[in-house]
Amino acid sequence: MSTVPIVTARQLGLRVRPRLRRRELGLLVLVSVVLLAGRASLASTLAGHLALGDLRLLGVYLVALFGVHLAFVLAGRRMDQVLLPTVALLGGISLLVMERLPQDLVVQRYAGQTFGLAPLQLGWLLVALMLMGGLGIVVRSDNWLRLYKYTWAAAAIALLLAVFVFGRDVNGAQLDLCVGPVCGQPSELVKVILVVFLAGYLADNRELLAGASTDVGPFRLPPLPYLVPMGIMLGIALGVVSFQHDLGSALLYYLVFLFLLYIATARVSYVVLGLALFLAGSAVLYELYPVVRLRVDVWLNPWADPQGAGFQTLRALYALGSGGILGTGLGAGLPTVGSAPAIPVIESDFVFSAIAEELGLVGALAVLTCYVVIAERGLRIAATAQDDFRALLAAGLTLVVVVQAAIIVGGNIKLVPLTGITLPFVSYGGSSLVANALVVGLLLALSDRGVEPPPPPSARRRAFRWARAGQP
Amino acid sequence: MNPPVACNRGSGGSGRVVRPGRRVSGPGDLVAPRIGRSVLHATVAIGLVYVLLAATLTYWQVVRADALTVDPGNPMVLAAQQSVLPGRILDARGTVLAKSVRLADGSVLREYLTDPSLGPLLGYRSSRFGTAGIESAEDGVLTGLTGQSESDLLLRKLRFELYQPQDVILGIDMRLQRDVERLMGNRRGAVVAMDPSTGRILALVSTPGFDPNSIANPATAAGAFQRLTSDPASPLLDRATQGLYVPGSVFKLVTSIAGLGSGTITAETTYPDQPAEEMTGFLVDGYRVVDGHHPFTGNLALDYTQALEVSCNIYFAHVGLAVGGPAMVEWAARLGFGAALPFALPTAASQVTSGGGPLGGFKDRVELANAAYGQAEVLVTPLQMALVASTIADGGVLMQPQLVIGTRDSDGTMHSILPVSWRTVIDPATASTIANAMEQAVSGVWGIPFAGLGKVPGVPTAGKTGTAQLGGSGEPHSWFVGFAPVQGAKIAVAVLLERAGSGATEAAPLASQVMADYLALPPVPAP
Repeated sequence: MSTVPIVTARQLGLRVRPRLRRRELGLLVLVSVVLLAGRASLASTLAGHLALGDLRLLGVYLVALFGVHLAFVLAGRRMDQVLLPTVALLGGISLLVMERLPQDLVVQRYAGQTFGLAPLQLGWLLVALMLMGGLGIVVRSDNWLRLYKYTWAAAAIALLLAVFVFGRDVNGAQLDLCVGPVCGQPSELVKVILVVFLAGYLADNRELLAGASTDVGPFRLPPLPYLVPMGIMLGIALGVVSFQHDLGSALLYYLVFLFLLYIATARVSYVVLGLALFLAGSAVLYELYPVVRLRVDVWLNPWADPQGAGFQTLRALYALGSGGILGTGLGAGLPTVGSAPAIPVIESDFVFSAIAEELGLVGALAVLTCYVVIAERGLRIAATAQDDFRALLAAGLTLVVVVQAAIIVGGNIKLVPLTGITLPFVSYGGSSLVANALVVGLLLALSDRGVEPPPPPSARRRAFRWARAGQP
Repeated sequence: MNPPVACNRGSGGSGRVVRPGRRVSGPGDLVAPRIGRSVLHATVAIGLVYVLLAATLTYWQVVRADALTVDPGNPMVLAAQQSVLPGRILDARGTVLAKSVRLADGSVLREYLTDPSLGPLLGYRSSRFGTAGIESAEDGVLTGLTGQSESDLLLRKLRFELYQPQDVILGIDMRLQRDVERLMGNRRGAVVAMDPSTGRILALVSTPGFDPNSIANPATAAGAFQRLTSDPASPLLDRATQGLYVPGSVFKLVTSIAGLGSGTITAETTYPDQPAEEMTGFLVDGYRVVDGHHPFTGNLALDYTQALEVSCNIYFAHVGLAVGGPAMVEWAARLGFGAALPFALPTAASQVTSGGGPLGGFKDRVELANAAYGQAEVLVTPLQMALVASTIADGGVLMQPQLVIGTRDSDGTMHSILPVSWRTVIDPATASTIANAMEQAVSGVWGIPFAGLGKVPGVPTAGKTGTAQLGGSGEPHSWFVGFAPVQGAKIAVAVLLERAGSGATEAAPLASQVMADYLALPPVPAP
């Protein structure tokens, strides 16, 4: 092995032996039963009876799901068997909610045909499944990630800046970037790239960051010089998304950074310092941006302006109240005012409120449990990884999903100020689904103990030479 | 394919050189901690975050669910009010006090009995002016948004009957309510009648009242609302629960409970200086407490029963001072003073002092002495005084005042709300001592001129009058609180007539009539 290709020919060769994945199959059957029951309940609530056509979208989704499972079996890898069913359940719930919401919330035309909310979400779910399956099967090495961390960092910043220049406004935040007919939110992709960069940088420097310190007068501070490259990268990312009013992404990036810094160094002082900086930064943003001030004020007392600023938050709370313990039942809650749902952006930022109303506390806790399961599986992959980079990468990838879910759920239930960000695998939207599928796909690949071992230190230099030469 | 390399975590930094001049300190061969451990810490942190999320969610969906569901800003409330026919409001005997009818144009009209005493009690339900009274307090139940158990709710969901309006059943006996209203005539005031053993409110009258139909009917609503809000007699105010009045001598019952309950006095306690002080006044820190119009008791030092019978201010001033400020406030609080009462309708908090002073809130001994016989800063609601009478009548046990005694589903299933004992204030013997003194006040030789008109003919009656001096010119408030029969009381009443004159001549006969009429009514069959 003198070169570091992404995939070796041998690994792609057909001499793989199929390996049954019984646990995954069992869980997928369970998930299918739950989702079919949910769809039947929805149909009987909406129409009073169940027609076969109602199962069309869910059927396509389930077929794709088992297709991915079959591909994993044929590929014969020893990957985690819980992640796919967990994500599949979240995606399936998403599909049910999108089928339940008014279809005209999102309408797009492709090839002369008009698609509503649910078919569009199904399309993105299929893309996400394919991406997850593809990454899980194909990725046999992580060198392409670990060796080019600065390249990835540059790409991430370029993406953010492109939004800055060419972007489109969504709900008061500059988020969308369009290439031809396809629009996306690069901040979702950037979170993945940021994790790759941080994992690479921290893996290389963790001994120093963990052990050394800078003395400033009588104070022993962390080794500041070694934090600078990471700080610059993070600063640019935070600066750009904050400037675009994408506060949810800014919060996510920062929290994941703090988590990874702690995991790499085990130094509590970083966390304390980081949280102090966070509070200082929040205070600055509170002063600078009226939108931040508004969010915090609404969080403290949404009843102060029930028809204005507090409207969204209050409507979400009412949904929680009417859901109660067992929920109203799929299709039986969510009053509409006129023809619009009572909660604005219910298909995206507030999708959790919709679930909490119709499936009740029980259903909402089930959704939260899915994220806890993802956290447990992902962090287990991190804890048993073969080297530091893989450990940090797996932990970071897991954290972007579960921290993001916690941020938006916390915002929905008025535990923290609301910052607009999607609920991974559940909110409507292609960018979010694709980015999170990327995360889970990589996690699946990393979970295989047969992934190509990390290169020895000398290979790193050779790899750089190879990169410069542009050929193996 | 190479076998997996066991990575030597934590030794990779050995090659690094710490640059001099940067003052970076630390061991030369830096060893990073094991990553698995800090991953475990991160896992625990994430777990805790999710536990916090789950706890918050539970708070909203369980603890606050009903409050959110009936929040006036909730679109569901508006939707329900427009789409469902709210349930009826019935009295204890099934008389329909309020019902809903759907008009030809699809809108909902609420119809009430036209008795004006129902206005302050039931309130109104208006598309323009919202809800008030019982209509507001029980809105969730009437429209079917709340008030169902989880199991009922689940059954409804299976039957696609999500929001089923329920009937609300009040403990009110409309026969008595009408009777009281007739007896009040056009006098301003309030009457609260309750069953001491259950706490159920039998009549709740505030005069002047208003016909709730006038606001519920869109055709007359605007004019009626304008007229009612500008009426100087404030008919929209429920005097029984929210009117705060100087109690005068009826407050001596509270002082009795504090004095006897705390053991500060017994039924035999006398104050040797009291007969002399009848002539000169009782000097408290330079202020003279005097008795106004006391039957001549000569040189007799009155004991507790005699003092209550003649309503001796000086005796109760002594008792109040002996009990002390903090204990007075505490004993009153046990009766419900100092906070809104646990009641279906909003209530004003009764007080023994405005607070802020050094003696448990009383600013000095003068205030305390005057408060002990119901003057100074003492302010009470008629409902609060009915609770005091009820506690004495029920052997010292204070029942929660209960207006709603049940709800009924549209399929006829009745959900009774059981009486709730709030707290035991005094022991039965103490209650009996006070009841005995109250009976003397109505039937004793000295008492008859005071409260004799409060006697229910042929029934042993306990009572206490009050004539609350308001300062300045004008008539005092006329009070009577009492119950009958003395043993096994069926009804306790508090009667307040605003600026009507003495308790003996105004409130007492009215109370006597109310109690007599109630005792003569055929009993209400169990619902």
